[in-house]
Amino acid sequence: MPTTIRLACRLAISAAALLAVLGSFSPASAVPVFARKYQTSCQTCHIVFPKLNAFGEAFRLNGYRMPAETEEQVKETPTSLGAEAYKKTWPSMVYPSSIPGHVPIAINIKMADVYSSSVDGADRSITRNDFQFPQEVNLFTAGTLGEKFGFLAELTFEEGAGVSIERAQFTANSVAGPEHAVNFKVGMFAPDLADGFQEMWLMTNNGIDTMFAYDPIGVRGGTGVAEEPNGISIPASVKAIEFYGVAKHRFFYTVGITSGLGPVPATSGNDPHSGKDWYARFDYKFGGMGLDGDTTGKNLPPENWRENSVRVGVLGYQGTGNDVAFDVTDELGAPFGVADRRYDRVGLYVSWFWRDLNVFGAYLHGTDALTVTDQTTLAQNKIEPAYDSWFVQADYVIRPPFQVSLRYEDLNPGDPTAQSIRLGNANFSYLMRANIKLMLEYQLDLQESKNYNLAAVLRFAF
Amino acid sequence: MMRRLLFSSLALALVTPAAAGDIHGKVVCKGTRDCADAVVYVDAIPGKSFPAPQAHEKINQQNLVFEPHVLPVLIGTTVDFLNSDTVQHNVFSPDACAEKFNLGTWPKGQIRSYTFKKDCVATLLCKVHAEMEAFVVAVPTPYFAVTKADGSYRIADVPDGAYTVKVWHPKLKATSKPVTVAGATDTAFEIAR
Repeated sequence: MPTTIRLACRLAISAAALLAVLGSFSPASAVPVFARKYQTSCQTCHIVFPKLNAFGEAFRLNGYRMPAETEEQVKETPTSLGAEAYKKTWPSMVYPSSIPGHVPIAINIKMADVYSSSVDGADRSITRNDFQFPQEVNLFTAGTLGEKFGFLAELTFEEGAGVSIERAQFTANSVAGPEHAVNFKVGMFAPDLADGFQEMWLMTNNGIDTMFAYDPIGVRGGTGVAEEPNGISIPASVKAIEFYGVAKHRFFYTVGITSGLGPVPATSGNDPHSGKDWYARFDYKFGGMGLDGDTTGKNLPPENWRENSVRVGVLGYQGTGNDVAFDVTDELGAPFGVADRRYDRVGLYVSWFWRDLNVFGAYLHGTDALTVTDQTTLAQNKIEPAYDSWFVQADYVIRPPFQVSLRYEDLNPGDPTAQSIRLGNANFSYLMRANIKLMLEYQLDLQESKNYNLAAVLRFAF
Repeated sequence: MMRRLLFSSLALALVTPAAAGDIHGKVVCKGTRDCADAVVYVDAIPGKSFPAPQAHEKINQQNLVFEPHVLPVLIGTTVDFLNSDTVQHNVFSPDACAEKFNLGTWPKGQIRSYTFKKDCVATLLCKVHAEMEAFVVAVPTPYFAVTKADGSYRIADVPDGAYTVKVWHPKLKATSKPVTVAGATDTAFEIAR
């Protein structure tokens, strides 16, 4: 390999690693709206917010309702939009429903002091200490609309990114068949494709960018994580219609149809894909509480973060990006156009709970059918690079207020000349109160020890 | 002599009422905030009927709420629906046992009435205010009571004897059981979803 190209590759890798190291911070997802509604502690559903325990997962999958919920569990009396008996009169009259008794608003705030180190093109270390006060503020609203429907929305202010709609979803639960079997949601949300490892379900401050933010676009295939916030691997957030459900207490499925991957033109803001992508995931949980909250025949420990269980899942994502034009340059600056004719992702998810320990991880294999067009000669080259990404994370509850997490991430890019990305992430969390936590988190680029960051984070929700 | 004894016994039977006690106790409700508004009543007594009362019962519509929320009555009772609000109200029932009656709308201070002719749990709704709901429970005997929030109830003046006692609740499954009344009789029930 010529020296210039090797240098360019290295720069690209450093930049990618830097992006990964400084990468996105996990958006909030603990929703104190429900703590108020049920007059219950955050820890009913969270091991350490926003990470869910088994009950919290059942609560979420049940459309943010308690499993087998009874009226007495709901402490904030909802406002009736029609007496129960109006069911008898449908369709002569509007079907009855209810709305939350109070405006269901909650706020999450993160303050972070981030000390980071990175390497520039001349192999010099650049360090900075950044008071990100606040790093992020999230305004939530969430609740149920009668027996079947629910909603959740999140408006986020993020330092450097401004204000954005993080989520806005409408859910319908148990719309057909047995209880919990057929549910759907529509809107913008974190897809259940990534249940358990999308950023909103992690106890760490850093998300797993190597799973979500990989960019397959390049002259020889992708080199690392993307600058696009949603990446072009599997989406951390979708605008989609998703069906999901739990059968026989332990089998989980989700199938979704979504706008395609890749950047949305700033001029129109519309999805440039002529078609839609789709995704699916199928899980089975062995042991512990059922995914619908079923505890029949189970003698579960009183410590609600504990259980002995294994959940395994397979996932897939497929779509076409013929209509999306990506402009790239090679190492020498020559312009190329790239189209991702078809992208396929298949993966595996495993989560093992054993007493105070939760080890979980995911593996993802992606292929991209790329058409690379030399913008000068218009010569086309069709390639099909493949990449592999995986991580494993261990979360441990020392005592409920004190928890630790270790994660290893690995990404082998589609470009065979690009170096793999390997990251380590360590977190210590101190749950000062059920809704206030302090975190110390260290993330290291294992390929380049001068790339790291150390963050002290204060996060609270109310 | 025998004839005199027979007449004496007959006269005694006519002037001395049958011994009467009560049925009291608690209903435990599983799955609701409290246990108010359960109706505990003695079911039809074979060979015995009760004339419809002349006096009307009343349900008031005030502050966009039916008051009381649950009203047990003897079959044949006429219930007057009074509008005490400054807005117009309506009362209708979607239940066939109450002939799916619809009394129309009427202003403050006026009353419209309906006679409950059958054994019936009649849901009362107001088309003007969809959240309003009440129940008239028309039962075959005059022996009934509505539970308080703590589930306690007392049915007074029940003659001694063996009966079937039923419990109905707006949200929970109905139940029943045989009860032998001998003076003050304590009987507990449990109802759930």
